[in-house]
Amino acid sequence: MKIWKKIDKTQQFLCVIILVYMVVVSMRNAQFLTLTTLFNMVRSSAGTTILAMGVLVIMIAGGIDVSFPAIAIFGGYTSLRLCMAYGIESLVVTFAISILIGVVLGVINALLINMLKLEPFIITLSTASVYFGLMTILVGTKNVGASDLPAQFKMLSSAKLITTTNAYGGTIGLSVFIIPVVLCVVATWFLLNKTLIGKGIFAMGCNNEAARRAGFNVNLLRIFIFGYSGVLAGIMGIIYIAGTNSVNPVSLVGTEMSVIACVVIGGAAPQGGYGRIFGTLLGVILYYLFNQTLIYLGLSASWQDFFMGIVLLFSIITTSYQRRLKDRKNFIYTE
Amino acid sequence: MKHKKVLAVLLTVAMAASVAACGGGGNDAGSSDAGSTTDTQETTGTDESADTTDAADTGSDTTGDAAASGDAEFTIALCAKTEGIAWFDDMRTGVDEFNADHADVYAYEINPEGSDAAKQNAMLEDLISQGVDAICCVPVDAQAVAATLQKARDAGIVVVTHEASDILGSVDYDLEAFDNDYFGTLYGQYLAEAMGGEGQYYAAVGGLGMTTHMQWFNSMVNYLKENHPNMELVNPDGTPGEDDNNEQTAYDLAVQAIAAYPELKGLVDCAASSNGMALALEEQGRTDIKLVGLATPSQGGAYIKSGTQYRGLCWRPADAGYTACEIAYKILKGEEITEETSFTKEGYETITIDGNLISGNAPLVFTPDNVDNYPF
Repeated sequence: MKIWKKIDKTQQFLCVIILVYMVVVSMRNAQFLTLTTLFNMVRSSAGTTILAMGVLVIMIAGGIDVSFPAIAIFGGYTSLRLCMAYGIESLVVTFAISILIGVVLGVINALLINMLKLEPFIITLSTASVYFGLMTILVGTKNVGASDLPAQFKMLSSAKLITTTNAYGGTIGLSVFIIPVVLCVVATWFLLNKTLIGKGIFAMGCNNEAARRAGFNVNLLRIFIFGYSGVLAGIMGIIYIAGTNSVNPVSLVGTEMSVIACVVIGGAAPQGGYGRIFGTLLGVILYYLFNQTLIYLGLSASWQDFFMGIVLLFSIITTSYQRRLKDRKNFIYTE
Repeated sequence: MKHKKVLAVLLTVAMAASVAACGGGGNDAGSSDAGSTTDTQETTGTDESADTTDAADTGSDTTGDAAASGDAEFTIALCAKTEGIAWFDDMRTGVDEFNADHADVYAYEINPEGSDAAKQNAMLEDLISQGVDAICCVPVDAQAVAATLQKARDAGIVVVTHEASDILGSVDYDLEAFDNDYFGTLYGQYLAEAMGGEGQYYAAVGGLGMTTHMQWFNSMVNYLKENHPNMELVNPDGTPGEDDNNEQTAYDLAVQAIAAYPELKGLVDCAASSNGMALALEEQGRTDIKLVGLATPSQGGAYIKSGTQYRGLCWRPADAGYTACEIAYKILKGEEITEETSFTKEGYETITIDGNLISGNAPLVFTPDNVDNYPF
C-alpha cells in the first residue's frame, strides 16, 4: 500500500482501469490470460514505449515534438538501406547509424526552436515533413520484404530471451526488444530524477524564464533533450523494422498522436513541468491493452479509439483537478 | 537608405520576372514538369521508353514550349496514390511502356508523396491547368478527388480511374483489373483448397471503409457459405478485422486470433500487409493454419516461397497502368469502347462493361513457383 500512496491519482485511476479491463477480457475469453499475450504485448509495444520516453522528457520541459516518427523512420530506414548497400551485418553499426541520424535531426529541431523562438509544435510539424520528404528524396521509400532484409534485422526480429516451445514446434518467447526498452526507461528515469539536467528539465517546464534566471542554460538544455529524443527515435527505428521483419517506410508517419496520447494519459502535463515515467508506462500499457484485446472481446477497431478517447478525457480531468487542488492548498488561484 | 533602394529595385525586378514567367502560362510549368518526369523515366524506365522520351525532351528543350506535346499529339498523365512504393513503380513501367509503344502519345506518371489525398488533389488541379488531354487517376480517397475529376471533365479532359468504382458519376471510365466479386471468390477458393473445405477461419481487411477490400471480403464469405458449409467465419458479427494496411497490426491481429480461437485453421487478409500475419504463423510454427492474402512479391514473397502463406493474390500494376492509358488513348482517338474492344495486355484482351465500369480478368495468383518472377 506504500507504493499505492506514492503514485498520483491519475496513475491510481489507470491501474484500476487496467485491472478491471483485464478481468472483463479474461472473463470473456480465458485465452487472454496467457504468456503469449504478455510476450506479444511487450514486443508490439516496444517501439511506442521507447518513443513515449522521448515525448515525456520533451513534454516535461514544456515542449512538444511531432517529428519523432519521421526521425525514427529516417534513422531506421536509412540505416537499413546503408546496411543493404554495403553488406553491413553488425548490429552495433546498424544502431549507431540510426542513432546518429536521430541525434542530428533532433538537434536541428532544438536549434531551430532556439534561434527562431517559435512554438516547438510548429517547428517540429514542419521539420516532420522536411525530414520525411528528405528521406524520400535521398533514400526513397521502397518496401523491403523479409527475403531482402539483412541478417541482423532478422536476428533481432526472431531472437528471444525466455522461450518455450508450443505444441506446433514453434517458439513462444520474450522478444529481445525488452532489452532496449528497459535500457531506455531506466536511462530516462535516471536522467529525470538523478541528474541536474533532470532538475533543469522540470524547471524549464514550470517556468522557462525562472529556470534561466536560476542559472540553467535553457538553450543548451533544449538541445540536449531534443538530441536525447532523437537517440530514442533512432533506436525505435531499428526496432520498428525488426518488429515486422519487413518495412513499409510510409506507415510509421502519422502515428505521433497515439504516442503523445499515451504520455498525456499517463498524467504528463501538456503545459510542462510535470510527468511520471510510471504513468507513461501505464498509458502505453492501456493503449496496447485496448489494441490487443478487441478480438477477445469481439469488437471492431473503432472501439479502441473510443476507449482511448474516454480514458484520455478522464485522465486529463483527473490530472488538472489534482493540480488545482494542490494549487488551492498553496493559495494559488489561477481562475 | 541607398542599400534599401537597391534592394527594393532588385525585388521589383525579381517579382516582375516571376510574374512574366507565370504569364507564360501552365505551359512553362508543364515543360519543366515534363522534363523532370522524363529524367526519372530515363533512369528507372526501360530502354525503349528512353528513346522516345529523349525525342520528346529535345523538342521541349529547344522550343521551351508546351510540355513534350510538341511531338506527341496527346498528353496522358497518370496520377497514382503515392510515390516511392514498389507497386506504383511497377505501374510506372507500364505507363512508360505505353509511352514507348505509341509515338503520338506522351504518357507519364506522377504521384504525391505519402498517400496524401490533399496533395493528390493539388496535383490533379495542376494537370488541369496544364491542359493535359487525359488524366488517369488511382485515387488515394475516391470521394476526395471526385469533384476535381469532374472539374477536369468539364474542362474537356478525358478522365479514367483505377480502383475507384464508387465515383463512376465523375469519370469517363473506371478500370478494374477484374470483377471484384470474382476476385473475392478466389480468396475463398484457395482458402478452401488449403483447409480441405472445413474449419474455422478469421479474416481481416485494411479498413472497413475500403471499398474493394470489403467487396472481396463479402464475396469470399458468401462463396464459402454456399460451397463449403463446414467452413466457419469466426469474426464477431461477421465483421472483418482491420489492419490499417500495417504489418504490425496484421501481426497483432493474427496473434490474437490464434490465441482467441484455439480451433482456428485459416487466416485471410484482404490487405497487402498479409506478411505480418505470415510472420506470426512462422514464429509460432503454425503450419496447420493456412493463410491467403493480398500480397506483393517484395513484401510477402519470402513467406509465399516458404509455404507459410499458402497463396498471395494480386494484380499486375504495370498492366493496369498500361490499360488505363490505353482506354484514355482510345477515347482521345474517338474510338468507342464496347465489350468487343480488345486491349493489349494479358487479362484485358476481353473486358466486361457495366455502365462506365470496365473490368478485365487479370487476377494474379502467387505460388511458391512463380512469386520470384515479378519485380514489384
